[in-house]
Amino acid sequence: MATHWKVRPYLLTGGRTHVRHRLLVHTLVSVPYYDAAFAGGLLPEARGLYEQARVTRSVAELSASCGVSLGVTRVILGDLAASDRVRIHPETYDSPYDRNLLERVRDGLLRLA
Amino acid sequence: MTACSGSPEGETVPTDGTVPTSAKIVVAGGFGVGKTTLVSAISEIPPINTEAWMTAASEPVDHLDPGIDKRTTTVAMDFGRRAIADDLVLYLFGTPGQARFWPMWDDLCRGAMGALVLVDTRRLDASFAAVNYFEQDSDVPFAVCVNLFHGRQTHHLDDVREALSLSPEVPLLAADVREPGAVARALVGVVEHTMSSTARQ
Amino acid sequence: MRRILIVGAGQCGLQLGLGLLAAGYEVTIMSARTPEEIRAGWPTSTQAMFEQALNTERAQGLNLWDDPAPKINGMHIAVAMPPGTMAMSIIAHLNSPGQSTDQRVKFPAWLELFEERGGTVIYQGVTTGDLDGLTALLRYDLTIVAAGKGELTALFDRDVDRSPFTVPQRGLSVAYVHGLAPNPSYPERSGAFNGIPGLGEMFAIPGYTLSGECDILFFEAVPGSPADIWQKRLPPDEHLSLMVKQAREYAPWLGERCDNVELTDGKATLSGRYTPVVRRPVAQLPSGGLVLGAGDVVISNDPVTGQGANGAAKMAAAYLAAIVAHGDKPFDREWMERTFADFWETSGQWATMWTNGMLGEMPEHAARILMKATTHTPTADRFVNGFSDPSDFQHFFFTPEAADAYLASIEE
Repeated sequence: MATHWKVRPYLLTGGRTHVRHRLLVHTLVSVPYYDAAFAGGLLPEARGLYEQARVTRSVAELSASCGVSLGVTRVILGDLAASDRVRIHPETYDSPYDRNLLERVRDGLLRLA
Repeated sequence: MTACSGSPEGETVPTDGTVPTSAKIVVAGGFGVGKTTLVSAISEIPPINTEAWMTAASEPVDHLDPGIDKRTTTVAMDFGRRAIADDLVLYLFGTPGQARFWPMWDDLCRGAMGALVLVDTRRLDASFAAVNYFEQDSDVPFAVCVNLFHGRQTHHLDDVREALSLSPEVPLLAADVREPGAVARALVGVVEHTMSSTARQ
Repeated sequence: MRRILIVGAGQCGLQLGLGLLAAGYEVTIMSARTPEEIRAGWPTSTQAMFEQALNTERAQGLNLWDDPAPKINGMHIAVAMPPGTMAMSIIAHLNSPGQSTDQRVKFPAWLELFEERGGTVIYQGVTTGDLDGLTALLRYDLTIVAAGKGELTALFDRDVDRSPFTVPQRGLSVAYVHGLAPNPSYPERSGAFNGIPGLGEMFAIPGYTLSGECDILFFEAVPGSPADIWQKRLPPDEHLSLMVKQAREYAPWLGERCDNVELTDGKATLSGRYTPVVRRPVAQLPSGGLVLGAGDVVISNDPVTGQGANGAAKMAAAYLAAIVAHGDKPFDREWMERTFADFWETSGQWATMWTNGMLGEMPEHAARILMKATTHTPTADRFVNGFSDPSDFQHFFFTPEAADAYLASIEE
């Protein structure tokens, strides 16, 4: 009865590995290797997100550029990540308050000031 | 729902194996205080104004109220991006100014390194809700910035601080948000405030 | 494996999600806040729960605070008339103790448990646009909306016949405190329920919060009355001192217990108001998707009888059983309507009827029952056990006939 949002459901691994992704609006996402055949089997929302993510960009950018709501974007990206079709870039720093990160952002901004 | 059109554009993924990461600063404040202008001034892409966030624009009496009227409207929310280094992108997210809609604000602020609350001295009350949010409902360090429309400062900052009942530890800045350099300096103020306030913890 | 999406991570959404996970379903929960944010936030309720509701948690192994949370052994019910003077006093015992575990303790722990057990959590405040897109994906066999705070409730039509009110019936004020002295009228750990006709109600409820055992002061003010000073959010210290001042004025026996109270943490207060409402249980999204409402999305009672968390827990148990019993059959509109109707018939209607009755003028027959309860312990106990099972009120309290028959039966 369950209709998959995939045209070809077998493309999604059945037993998905459970990963705790925190998909924040600014979390970067990319496609590690683009697979045109895989893309061709996806429904429009998923296909659009998969193709747009060929260039590294944030969850919010993907949502906006594909006209897919943030909630749907997060669900689809979570599925694509569970089957390793997209890479959710890990936070390189432990916290947004990491000294090194703050210093790099400050120094970058000072170059614009 | 529409699929994306066109091919992706923008900078390419670094090929040296580094994985780019991102940081975020939130720009808050009432409707029409200049958030979009600020984001435009420093973003390397045109600010993305999205209507993906559809929400009700009612004004709940408080955080307990589970009943909301059926007045639904579109809340404009925009954001921009600035590469800081090959492997580091800074995102600026403007909060929707029409209403205090906590879930969306929480979402935008989650993982932010700091926030800048923009105020217009002619309509300070438009930014009260944003100041209250960061004082009471968020742990994100924030600074307040007076938007110098047309580059003129018409009020003493001390008066603005008093009118907003800002506690002394909250930095109060001023910037003409049309000016990229001024915006960058204000954002430096946010980052430095985060450095000093989180170092104390 | 059937896939279920639950929007909202409160008592109903989390309890249902954990139950479905244990039953082998693939469950995704969308939560507006992370566990860390909930712990660091303001309280959301007074959440006193009683035997029947607690037993639904126990049946699922979710009763993680049975030991640390103080037992609410019974209740001291007093009527202050005129304000400041105790005109009626009832000591009533619960058959099984109640408990109130701060949702800032419970929900983060349940969310983490849900993730540990393999559930998926997406942290986002869901909008109507999201819900439309999510149901249009056809990824989920069933979508349940259990997020009572936010715009999604507007998708569900108000059930006019079951919603007598169009404006809030009380202004609410809550403070979590340490240092409340025991009640001399009921020295065991117990709840206090003080009715002040014309002004509202004042409660003190033993609870368990982030910093351990506490008491929850909870006032309900009649809008427009002098007691209703809870229109806007106050700094927590000011909020508490106004509550203590009101207690000393309207129910001095409660005020005397407050000499050494202090807030349990920096965000230990809550104020607000909302209109009690019952909504239709099924909503259709613009793209055609159907969603089932749960918890205070569909039944939002005034907290005067503490039936919010109790009803949510009971509904979670009822929905869980209905989903499992439905097997592989489609979750269509007919099933959704019937699932809610069954809950309403057996449970929901009684809590709503009782709660709405308590907000108005007390009918003469109800006053006679309470008067009897002042001297007749079985009547007092039966009344207070209605907090656990409000359906019992139909047998002795709701109507003059039932009250007369009951009073006659105990005279024999």
